Amino acid sequence: MFCLSELEDTVRVPPSDLNLPLEVAIKKALQKLFLDKVLSIGLCVSIYGIKSIEGGFVLPGDGAATYKVVFRIVVFRPFVGEVIAAKFKESDSNGLRLTLGFFEDVYVPAPLIPTPNRCEPDPYNRNQMRWVWKYGDDEFIIDDSCQIKFRVENISYPPVPTERAEDAKPFAPMVVTGTIDDDGLGPVSWWEACAPISDAED
Amino acid sequence: GKITCFKHILSPAYKHDQNDFPTSFVRSSEEKLHLLKNITVKANAGALTNFEVLDLLNSRGASKDTTRVIASETVSRSEYKVYDYLMETAASTQTRESVTKFSDKCKDFKLAKAEILNIINLRPSSDVELTPILEKPDEREIDIEGILALVQELLPPLPTVEAQKENEQEETENDEQS
Repeated sequence: MFCLSELEDTVRVPPSDLNLPLEVAIKKALQKLFLDKVLSIGLCVSIYGIKSIEGGFVLPGDGAATYKVVFRIVVFRPFVGEVIAAKFKESDSNGLRLTLGFFEDVYVPAPLIPTPNRCEPDPYNRNQMRWVWKYGDDEFIIDDSCQIKFRVENISYPPVPTERAEDAKPFAPMVVTGTIDDDGLGPVSWWEACAPISDAED
Repeated sequence: GKITCFKHILSPAYKHDQNDFPTSFVRSSEEKLHLLKNITVKANAGALTNFEVLDLLNSRGASKDTTRVIASETVSRSEYKVYDYLMETAASTQTRESVTKFSDKCKDFKLAKAEILNIINLRPSSDVELTPILEKPDEREIDIEGILALVQELLPPLPTVEAQKENEQEETENDEQS
């Protein structure tokens, strides 16, 4: 789910950092610019390393030095078809929301939850809805009791909204849509009964 | 500190069409927007396994400081979130040798690079865990038993809940798989 990407950018090192060794100062500026931000290539997770630094000119009217830097970053960008283990965050009538800790916008919409299923008000949590999968005679609840595996169906980068209602959810610049409607997906407790390294029951 | 270079375990696997495009930045956890000028993307250097990212964070000292104050110079809070996530996955018990050896041996099974990456990250131990990772396994005559046997042989077992609670590193090689 992680990739390495090489970028080139102009970086401004503020005058307060000019006493630091150059690499440290540039890395600090890069971290402030890129860390935990969503680019079109994914969510930047870490600065991997700096390849080259050029420049160091001071532009007129500015106390800071500007460098042209080529560097590599680690981005979180799952590929379609990847299976990822996540934790349950919340659910509502539209579907589930899962979280990876560092990334919280994984959504499993209702059509991608195994059928037949039903959605009922959660008895433990008044504001939430709970999804239940009915398979044969058994009913399986989707909740936060264990990890949930999902397969990536799609990644989208919604455009930034210009106007929003005051109580709307915080804007998610990167949204991963997942499915749990397949063998081995969904809460791991559903599949624990299967014996390891032998033919799976169905 | 010095940034050491890591040799990639998997060579570039995916075709990327993106080169030289303007990007706009948005904070992932807040609402502030930062629209930026053109940033050239020179190349996409390839996929990393979860293990390689965890190794990178460990090399920066993420594991050593339990108070997370001293190491905060090199490891930021958002990087710690990634670290916490990865420590609960198969990557936390893997070693560079086991992952490299495994991906070499996978060549015998005619798997796509994306599938090998998925298997390393998830460490499936049963048929039902492996099949969602593979694309059209029936049509391709994949040796599912062989792959599972190779996983069992080469990749360390998943971290157990007790090991996580102790917050120790590299001691789970001998633990039973949960």
